[in-house]
Amino acid sequence: MQFAKRLACAALTFVVSNMSPAFAAREKLVIGITQFPSTFHPNIDAMAAKSYIHAMVARPFTTYDKDWNLVCMLCTELPTIENGLAKPELTADGKQGIAVTYTIQAKATWGDGVAVTTKDAVFTWKVGRHQKSGVGNIELYRSIYKIDTLSDKSFTLHFDKLTFDYNGINDFNLLPAHLEEKKFSEPGAYKNRTAYDTDALNKGLFFGPYLMTEMATGSHVVLEPNPTWYGRPPKFKQIVVRAIGNTAALEANLLSGGIDMIAGELGLTIDQAISFEKRHKQKYDILYKPGLVYEHIDLNLENPFLQDLRVRKALVHAIDRQTISERLFGGRQPVAHTSVNPLDWVFADDVPKYGYDPKQAATLLDAAGWRMGDTGFRINGQGQKLGFELMTTAGNRTRELVQQILQSQWKAVGIDVRIKNEPARVFFGQTMTERRYTGMGMYAWMSSPENIPRTTLHSNHIPTKSNNFSGQNYTSYKNPAMDELLERIETELDKSKRLVLWRQLQHIYARDLPVIPLYFRANAFILPKWLSGVEPTGHQYSTTLWVENWEIRP
Amino acid sequence: MIQFVFSRLFQSMAVIVIMSYAIYGLMGLMPGDPIDLMITSDPNMTTEGAARLRTLYGLDRPITERYLHWLEGAVTGDFGYSRLFSRPVFEVIWPALGNTAILLGSSFVIALGIALPLGILAAIKPYSKLDYSINLFVFAGISVPPFWLALLLITLFSVIFGILPAGGTADAAGASGLWERAKYLVLPIASLTLASIGGHARYMRASMIETLRHEFIRTARAKGLSQTQVITRHALRNALIPVTTVIALDFGYLFSGALVTETIFAYPGMGKLIFDAIMGNDYNLALVSLLFATLLTLLGNFMADVAYTWLDPRLGFAKGDA
Amino acid sequence: MTTRKDHPTSLVWHRFSQHRLAIASGFLLIWMGLLAGGAPLWKSLLVLDGQTVDLFMRFQPASSLHPLGTDELGRDFLARLLDGGRVSLLVGITAALFASLIGTVVGLISGYFGGRLDALMMRFTDGIISLPLLPLLIVLAAIDLSKLGVPVALINAENASLFRISIIVALAGWTTVARLVRAETLALRERDYVRASRAQGATSWRIMRVHILPNLAASIIVATTLSTGNIILLESVLSFLGLGIQPPIASWGNLLTNAQELIWEAPQLAFYPGALIFLTVIAFNFLGDGLRDALDPKTIHSQG
Repeated sequence: MQFAKRLACAALTFVVSNMSPAFAAREKLVIGITQFPSTFHPNIDAMAAKSYIHAMVARPFTTYDKDWNLVCMLCTELPTIENGLAKPELTADGKQGIAVTYTIQAKATWGDGVAVTTKDAVFTWKVGRHQKSGVGNIELYRSIYKIDTLSDKSFTLHFDKLTFDYNGINDFNLLPAHLEEKKFSEPGAYKNRTAYDTDALNKGLFFGPYLMTEMATGSHVVLEPNPTWYGRPPKFKQIVVRAIGNTAALEANLLSGGIDMIAGELGLTIDQAISFEKRHKQKYDILYKPGLVYEHIDLNLENPFLQDLRVRKALVHAIDRQTISERLFGGRQPVAHTSVNPLDWVFADDVPKYGYDPKQAATLLDAAGWRMGDTGFRINGQGQKLGFELMTTAGNRTRELVQQILQSQWKAVGIDVRIKNEPARVFFGQTMTERRYTGMGMYAWMSSPENIPRTTLHSNHIPTKSNNFSGQNYTSYKNPAMDELLERIETELDKSKRLVLWRQLQHIYARDLPVIPLYFRANAFILPKWLSGVEPTGHQYSTTLWVENWEIRP
Repeated sequence: MIQFVFSRLFQSMAVIVIMSYAIYGLMGLMPGDPIDLMITSDPNMTTEGAARLRTLYGLDRPITERYLHWLEGAVTGDFGYSRLFSRPVFEVIWPALGNTAILLGSSFVIALGIALPLGILAAIKPYSKLDYSINLFVFAGISVPPFWLALLLITLFSVIFGILPAGGTADAAGASGLWERAKYLVLPIASLTLASIGGHARYMRASMIETLRHEFIRTARAKGLSQTQVITRHALRNALIPVTTVIALDFGYLFSGALVTETIFAYPGMGKLIFDAIMGNDYNLALVSLLFATLLTLLGNFMADVAYTWLDPRLGFAKGDA
Repeated sequence: MTTRKDHPTSLVWHRFSQHRLAIASGFLLIWMGLLAGGAPLWKSLLVLDGQTVDLFMRFQPASSLHPLGTDELGRDFLARLLDGGRVSLLVGITAALFASLIGTVVGLISGYFGGRLDALMMRFTDGIISLPLLPLLIVLAAIDLSKLGVPVALINAENASLFRISIIVALAGWTTVARLVRAETLALRERDYVRASRAQGATSWRIMRVHILPNLAASIIVATTLSTGNIILLESVLSFLGLGIQPPIASWGNLLTNAQELIWEAPQLAFYPGALIFLTVIAFNFLGDGLRDALDPKTIHSQG
């Protein structure tokens, strides 16, 4: 195999020396991602690939920036209670609500020259709240029960609830009323008729720094600067986004010059990126940003073995998450102790932590009545073996690797863990949502900064047959103190008071251990040395929201 | 002849209709549905929201009812929408079909161009050194895992030598000019071709050996014709007849090959489309593109049968030897 | 085979032994079979452990402790390869046998009874042949068996993915044998001794068993050998597409698929399973080819 390595080295020199033509025309940037959007309609079917591309051709009203602060993009000033643009009020039926006023950027203009106005906002709201429009996040539009038009550029949204994040409307993606209104005349057919799919290259659909000029379904999208763009002019004359599903092929395309960079949002797995970094540090910048993707193992608390807190603690003590993070992920994916990311301002560092301590695990298990049997696995008084089924999404290589490590480490303390994986859509579609898993389910939660884990921890959100399996509390975790905290945090507008509540929440979480926290996933951005300005966000909102800052390093 | 054509057409139609139901039913047996896929990528999707979308997309109805609904539309020319691409299915299929036709067509012609001469060469002197070498070469082609071969080609020619693109199409790179466009096809065609030479060459060899045993070849030889003359003037035509049939029967395998090749080379053709559609629970797209592939195979078989009966009226049916 | 007067065993062996590649392939396969089949034994003899993970021993080069080094989780790679070989060969052989069994039954019945039944069954077979094989296998590999009423315990069994692959491949792959068997049965049933036997009042079942089936053996053996190789290849393709044998069970297919992302870091992890698949498949092809030449009555006639 020495030969292969030498061949690879020779290859590299060859490739490097062969790359010169690419430097000549550096007006174009080719980005590789692993997925192609299923639709270009911004509010139908949320998909990372679409968000990635859409952020270059349009902008949301508000979003979280790279420091995880809520900022205005299409609006001119972030409305707050302090600056008077947001006013708490009561709804007609006496509920606590709030009125929030936004003003659209004065020069915001659709690509075909029509101004972006309040009309578009009202139209978007109408589409969003219609039962048949096919919009996924209908809850946002439903909670806005009224819109007041103040002027062409200003409007007030009336919400029927008051939460601390009242001013964030990140998913309120504007639709062009002048093009889409006709298509919406028959709402049931809208999802098939929308110009975003029938006429995706129509300039009037977008108002961002770029416009789509070419699209080949399943293959690639070409973007070129939008003359009507109101912000900082973008630097590249052309951006091509290519979808290459196989990550090995994606890497080969990068090395052969077929693409210039690999997006972190939809790119290489972390171990692939680390291996890539070892070989190509000189030519590429590899940025890692641990983010709000919380990898963990849900424990089914209806499993009698798992009901015992000592067993849950022993499970965590028995696994060496630190070493996994270091050896497998080069330390790029920090170990999680609760669901709150260390980068989040509400993070509490002083929660109980369960380090790698197999002896402690053994002690706990002994105390819980699980003594070591002859087969190398622990058994209880009734002769039952201490065993669980560990499930995750089939085909996710990283998870499968971690799973096999954990299995091996649990075996060392006498816990028999059997691996059973399912395709993602079954795993999420039935196994977790209908709580059919019997022991452990390993997956990740995606969230935004200061996201309240209400649907995953509140006892009202345990999916059961009687509530038609709504809610995401798959562990069936019940703790009245937690329920109360979740409700109070949501409506607590005072930051310092909220921080105290958040700390309590994390302590209870770490003490009760309804899940085994594993680590926060990091995205790896592979960028050519000549590119600057790409700033990973670490949350679900793409780096491309700031694509106009991307430029060629002088 | 006409009666034969009509009866075959009728049979093919029957196969297609039965197939459509079978595929639809099988797709329905696949776990989860398109909405489950939406849920996995949307943290804001509520369970109520998912239920609403299911109703909207008609996914809450039983599979047979959905199939009949689809069939009703299909009869009037409405084959439904692709969920993965939000377009009517044929709008998605046509461009992919064009791409695949280029890919499969070229590799088919090249493979035959290499395989037939190899097969004939091998047949001239069975069990000679030449025969063994050809054997080794063609068997190597069909014995290597196809995705592995493709990745090897990419690693060699794109990454190490840097002379050919690793995937995609010329359009994605904005390349123009014939060679620039053709460059993108070299590796996918090469990997498809290498994998299909083996079968063709073996059929050709077997059929040629068989033909050379016939009485009329001996007569031709006795007349003093040279080996080349015997083969080109007398044996070739006869030997090609069964080969045509067998190759036409292999038509269906072409799509299987295209599936792997296109997936690795990110080539937007039918194979990749079928795979994406199945994995993405895109019922309509998967169904129609699978039917399309079946239809083309049936068409291939049908043409082979016509050619066969025409070339050799003595025989009614293809030999089972494949 | 002794029933065939014109088919002396010695001649067959003579013909077969001329095909040197086939002989070599035969030995290679026996050797592979011994290695893979005896995997637990070899592992205990060599003190190899393919299960225990050691994160400090990832990607170790070959050493006396680990003859082929370790994989991405620090497990002994030779042990993984042995285990993988057992699974791959098992799947290949079981599926091929199963497919031949179905094909033989269909072909025999169709060819022997003929008429409407034959027409119907052959139309059905043609229908299956015209299906695009791989996409169909993908659908079959992905279907949820619980929706078909298969007991959950069976679906959740540790070896479920193994059986599932064998069965679906067999369900899609029986057509070649069926056509082959039918064609030969059609010819055989018109032979004098079959007619004589029928005139003497032998049952169809007896005729098929005593007179027809033994004469089909040669073709069936050849077809089964050839398809075993193809199925091993097919398993690797399904693994590549994420639908083959699921980890933690190792197969050559999923070892190879796993390694494609590690090709630069640890090329040996990709080299060995790839080479083993290649060698095994090509060996099955040569063996099948040699057997065909040796068992083909026409070849023997012309030689004798």
